[in-house]
Amino acid sequence: MKTNSLFIVAGVRTPFCRAGTSLAEMDSVELGRLAVNGLFARTGLDPALVDETFFGCVAQPANAANMARVIALRAGVPKEKPAMTVQRNCASGMEAVTTAQDKLSAQHGEVFLVGGGESMSQMPLLFRHEAAIKFAMLSRAKGFMGKAGAMAAFRAQDFAPLIALKMGLTDPVAALNMGETAEILAREFQISREEQDTFALRSHQLASSSREMLHEEIIPVYAGSKDVKAITEDNGIRKDISLEKLASLPSIFDLLTGSVTAGNASQITDGAVALLTCSEAKVSTLGLKPLGRVVSYAYTGCDPERMGLGPVKAIELALKRAGWKLQDVDIIEINEAFATQVLAVLKCLKDRVYADRAGLEAPLGEIDLSTLNRQGGSIALGHPVGASGARLILTALQQLHHTHKKRALVSLCIGGGQGGAVCLETL
Amino acid sequence: MDLLVLDPTQDPDQDGHISQVTHSHVTPVSPPCFRKEVDSDGICWLTFDTPNASANVWNFATLEEFDRHIEELHRDHEVCALIIRGSKEKVFIAGADLKMVQTLPSEELYELLALGQDVFTHLESLRIPKIAAIHGTCVGGGFEMALACDYRVASKCDSTRIGLPETQLGLIPAWGGSTRLPRLIGLPKALDLIIRGKIMTADQAKRQGLVHEVVPEEHLMSFAKKMALKPMRINAHHFHFTQVWPIPQWLRYHAKSLLTSKHSWMKEVQASPLIAIDVITHGASKSIEESLLLEQGAIRKLADSGMTKSLIETFLRKENASKKLPAPYIHVKPRSITHVAVIGAGVMGSGIAYALACKGTRVLLCDTSPDFIARGVDRINQLFQAGVKNHVLTRKQARESKDRITFTSESVPMKRMDMVIEAIVEEMSVKKQLFADLAMRCRDDTILATNTSALSVMEIAKAVPYPERVVGLHFFNPAHLMPLVEVVQLEKTLPEVVTTMMRFVQSMGKTPILVRDAPGFIVNRILVPYLLGAVKLAVDMRDPWMIDDAMTEFGMPMGPLRLLDEVGFDVALHVEKTLRNAFGDRVPQCSLLSEMMAHGMLGRKNDRGFYSAFQSKNGEQPNPEVLTFLQPKVGSLTKAQIIDQLQGLMQDEAQRCLDDKVAASASDIELAMTLGAGYPPFRHLFPHQT
Repeated sequence: MKTNSLFIVAGVRTPFCRAGTSLAEMDSVELGRLAVNGLFARTGLDPALVDETFFGCVAQPANAANMARVIALRAGVPKEKPAMTVQRNCASGMEAVTTAQDKLSAQHGEVFLVGGGESMSQMPLLFRHEAAIKFAMLSRAKGFMGKAGAMAAFRAQDFAPLIALKMGLTDPVAALNMGETAEILAREFQISREEQDTFALRSHQLASSSREMLHEEIIPVYAGSKDVKAITEDNGIRKDISLEKLASLPSIFDLLTGSVTAGNASQITDGAVALLTCSEAKVSTLGLKPLGRVVSYAYTGCDPERMGLGPVKAIELALKRAGWKLQDVDIIEINEAFATQVLAVLKCLKDRVYADRAGLEAPLGEIDLSTLNRQGGSIALGHPVGASGARLILTALQQLHHTHKKRALVSLCIGGGQGGAVCLETL
Repeated sequence: MDLLVLDPTQDPDQDGHISQVTHSHVTPVSPPCFRKEVDSDGICWLTFDTPNASANVWNFATLEEFDRHIEELHRDHEVCALIIRGSKEKVFIAGADLKMVQTLPSEELYELLALGQDVFTHLESLRIPKIAAIHGTCVGGGFEMALACDYRVASKCDSTRIGLPETQLGLIPAWGGSTRLPRLIGLPKALDLIIRGKIMTADQAKRQGLVHEVVPEEHLMSFAKKMALKPMRINAHHFHFTQVWPIPQWLRYHAKSLLTSKHSWMKEVQASPLIAIDVITHGASKSIEESLLLEQGAIRKLADSGMTKSLIETFLRKENASKKLPAPYIHVKPRSITHVAVIGAGVMGSGIAYALACKGTRVLLCDTSPDFIARGVDRINQLFQAGVKNHVLTRKQARESKDRITFTSESVPMKRMDMVIEAIVEEMSVKKQLFADLAMRCRDDTILATNTSALSVMEIAKAVPYPERVVGLHFFNPAHLMPLVEVVQLEKTLPEVVTTMMRFVQSMGKTPILVRDAPGFIVNRILVPYLLGAVKLAVDMRDPWMIDDAMTEFGMPMGPLRLLDEVGFDVALHVEKTLRNAFGDRVPQCSLLSEMMAHGMLGRKNDRGFYSAFQSKNGEQPNPEVLTFLQPKVGSLTKAQIIDQLQGLMQDEAQRCLDDKVAASASDIELAMTLGAGYPPFRHLFPHQT
């Protein structure tokens, strides 16, 4: 009997580059398009096979309201094939995959192009609403005196922009910045600055020793308007990092007593991921060699002020749906939004007292660190918010193949107080 | 036939216009080409619809029939407006019947000319609003008719093209175009349009002021009618401020000196652009009637020079080659080509990828390392930027075309590719290896094309299973501009593959010439002996750059030494080697190039060739370094002698090409040389044929 689970056939991603560096001039659409182009070039498959496209993006570009549609059309997917942009904050890239799984289960298509892309460099600066009204009045004003009068209404503060990036990273319900939610976890779970920095160091070290493996995920991007350069590597990984250097960084979100720094938090990054997914039937008719399949997934909610704990409940539910135990899993990827947040999740999974706080009935068990984020995480590679969810799935599957293991679990915390988790397995 | 000066206020019977002129060559039974309908609003719709033809053209019969309708309208006081439209899908009016122009004896040509002027003046003198509703190609005489109307509206459609391309054919717009256009849009713009013979889209035409409005095709007729019912200034004799002294005089001087400095051959022969400048600028300060007489005089001068006929001949041959297939392949069905891989992101590879993407093909551009590709991306970006800047592409088109190109530096599967074009380094072993590898990655029926300029396609094909799908596709540099592609056919190449390639090249807007697999094919085979001959002459000369002057005066777009700089000495020597292997000492022998290369001179590549300072503001300058390599002899050659010798080299090789049956006919060889090397079409390549 054929399953109705979603098979992931192939995946590629652009290099992940710190915001404002090599990929800064490309918007989310362009990054997504390049990833999709690379995917079709590398697999040699025909874009016309695609039944529907789902792309995740957090800050959807104003000039491409349905980014997925623009990407699909520009990458050569026939215009008859629909496309939808999905948004579940940091899990948008994962949401694209799970949406495809849902559509497949509902038998609404068999081949799906999915992925996520985010240009954090190109998040806009906005005018305040009051200023926008004044601009509208100005454009409606008639005559020289009318225009002059409308202009006189402006005040200096009207020209101070709102920073979309900052707004996006702030939870409107809890009125807290993501970093501030991480500080709460550090306090409540007693995670020291040193523990966080050690975890960040590990991320960088693992990432730089896995460059070769990461290279397999990456398709080169050619950037630059004057002097075009081939961008072939993630540029957030620091080879020369040390605990001393990390310790010297100031804490950003709580200047006096805080412990979350730029060094032990995920980086602000540009990048995109594209995956080709399809049904089991299509795998055999097209003669494909899939990377793996989705076994189960789950999204759960939690306290927005402690959004970093999101993975705890999501992992529990996804495992339950898969019928797995935490010990069955060979490869685990938990997105490193903040070092403290990952460490808090680990504590909750292991320790009865903390498990209770996160709403677990019983701890799920201890995660062997040798299975967790083996090739580094967002602290080293960066966290292009719309793309990371898809990257975790891609990298987990690649690792299963390299290690010849079977089962992987992918999870991330979602701004606004949610967690997402996906169970994957090779064939 | 005298030109008739019309006064629109005159009574139609008194205006002295003699219609119903019967010409001996008009068969009286020719079927009518115009349909006249008058609708309930009193608007006369005159539809130009030549039966059993895809295009409408002006000849004696159609002009006279048109004139009869105009005469009727002069007498009909019920009709309140005239709308002229075409019925063909792609062509409104394609201008004068070129085949007719080419075959007519001079006397009758003048008659046709005078008739056209007369009929359009007659049209202009109608005292009702006259509207040209243009859908499809409207060029030459077609647009001159529209210029005689009061209002021009064009459809916003890809097939709508507007312009006066006469100078490209060695003619000038002489049915009033050189007179009415400057008065409509001003002298500088009109001069530019007529001299360059540019054909524009509807939107460009509107921007230039050639048409009043551009509307969607579906609304063209209703809009024309709406305009017809509005009050309109009719028979308005425009006056443009640029007609005032001294603007025409200054423009004449300026345009002429600009043109002759760029194309020095124009000084020697009666070049139509120069004559057009004279007619337009002199005519601008005279009355319309006098200006029309100037047009007539100019055509007399041009038609006698024989150059016109050879330019029209070349044009017709080119049209033929870029639209039709050679006889043996007419009935072979071509395959469709939608996905193409181009191997090699060098100058040729990226140029080809750009040209393909612009014509709607999806391209995979491959090279061996990301850094090579980055350079290719850079080149392609620059081509797109230039395309947008020069209005060849709109921003939207540029983005769409750019999206069609995917880059890869990996060995990716190519099962989806309909064809692969190889444009890598010219080395047989590397090419064979690549083709063997490609054959593994592609389908068995994927067409494999090599862009080699001199290597044997046959030899390359040996590396591949199913060699009947291998062809040569020799593009010229810069690939996106050069109109010629030599399609190299092997003996065993499938006819289907040949047809597909010919159609493919045609769909790129280029002209394919089918050639046999022989060293250098046509263009390089003829060009290289000429280039080396020039180098050989240069050794003995005090002033080697005189050779370039002589050959540009002869009509070549670039002197041979300058061209060598452009090609690069290394490439030139490589081709020389191949040709020498094949033809022995027939290729002129000279060690100058290798000596110069030994001293690190490569041509334009490193800014050290026969010329230097390529990047400077004033353009390249002769490089005095060259003189140290020369051994000047006393009593150097005159320009005429240089031309004679070098032309002789090309003529000899062309004849051998024909004898070896590299191409099907002498006209193919001539066309290839004109399009691929810029050989002047008005000079003979085959002196023994007429």
